[in-house]
Amino acid sequence: MANNAIHPDQIYIDGLANNNSAMIQSIYKKFVPKVVTYIRNNSGDEDQAQDVVQEILILLFNQAKVNKLQLTCPFDAYFFLLCKRKWLNELKKASNKGVTIREDFASNNEPSDEMVTQTEAFEEKQQLFDAMFKKLGDKCQELLKLSFTLKSMEEVAEKLQVTYGYVRKKKSLCTGQLTQWIQETNRFKSLKIT
Amino acid sequence: MNEDRYIVFDHYLQDELSVEDKVKFENQLAEDPELASAFEIFKELNLHLENKFGNADEFNAFKENSKSISNDHFKASKPKTKVIGFKPWIYLVAASVVVLLGLFLFNPKPNFEDFNQHENAYFTERGAVDEKLKQAEDAFNAKNYKAAISFFKAVLKEKDTPEIHYFYGISLLETNEIQEAEVVFNELKAGTSIYKNKAIWNLALAKLKQKDYKSCKEILLTISSDYEDYEQVQELLKELD
Repeated sequence: MANNAIHPDQIYIDGLANNNSAMIQSIYKKFVPKVVTYIRNNSGDEDQAQDVVQEILILLFNQAKVNKLQLTCPFDAYFFLLCKRKWLNELKKASNKGVTIREDFASNNEPSDEMVTQTEAFEEKQQLFDAMFKKLGDKCQELLKLSFTLKSMEEVAEKLQVTYGYVRKKKSLCTGQLTQWIQETNRFKSLKIT
Repeated sequence: MNEDRYIVFDHYLQDELSVEDKVKFENQLAEDPELASAFEIFKELNLHLENKFGNADEFNAFKENSKSISNDHFKASKPKTKVIGFKPWIYLVAASVVVLLGLFLFNPKPNFEDFNQHENAYFTERGAVDEKLKQAEDAFNAKNYKAAISFFKAVLKEKDTPEIHYFYGISLLETNEIQEAEVVFNELKAGTSIYKNKAIWNLALAKLKQKDYKSCKEILLTISSDYEDYEQVQELLKELD
């Protein structure tokens, strides 16, 4: 890869991560109209464009929070491509194949392609994690939720009226269970998630 | 499930392993790709859960804020019919609020100019022509109040009637010599002439002219209902409310 220097447009990513209204507004002003035009020209309407844009912004917020998303290409191309591909997937889903488009970028090799691939991988991972979490038993779900909401594991123990040692062990095992399921899924899909 | 493995993962991430165990674990990771991949997933799950639950408030704030920015953005570009169709009662409420605000903020207060239709002066009808009084009358009726004042002043030196005082007072009021006008009207008010109520009315107008609506109203309320122009009093009271 050419270089991984952070692009000045990183300000938009930081603006999203900090819930900066002025930045979000400027994203809407500068980059969203192009997306709306594209979706309207491709069998969509404005409401659908609004939903696609909102979904992508939430995805970027999450990626910035979890993975410290670092932009190495212009925001414009990156954002447009993400929205465009999301919309094409919606169309594909609607045409009841239930399969998402997985076109590769091999041909054009734009700098934004790599960023888009990363973000889409993040989204896929997030969806997989969420789906697996729902498979956990209620006790595991509650314990993990409390572990990441409350300040300390001592508080979690107190809240659940069990010992500290128990919640620590249980937390490891619940996360372990998720880890195991995800590993199995990856093997099954032969997808490299990490 | 290999329980011990995940307990070690957790201890390692919490930095609770002894130096010895730490080195041992890191060596295992280097040698066992399967273990390394499990540990990577375990680590990422922690980040993911931290974001999902630990940052839930931040996430919800972002979702709400970006949604409202989005709605503002798209509302501006959507056709109007769509906007109206969406919860029309909100617009009714908004419109009512605007109207009410308008009533509070821009309630058109009555103007002095709406109520200063003074009767004409007819001093000279009683025969003997007083030159100065005639000039005062003409100037007054022509609404040339400045000139009227100087004529009245001259006349008052020789002739001092409530009638002349009354018209003199109006001239003062019209030329914004309000304090002097009030002196004149207060004298008339204290007297018993037929100009008593008219003087009170003009005292009220003096307050109106100064936009002292509260005092204006207070004075109006002291005018007895048998005042010949009581209709005007009521009208002004209504407009003040």
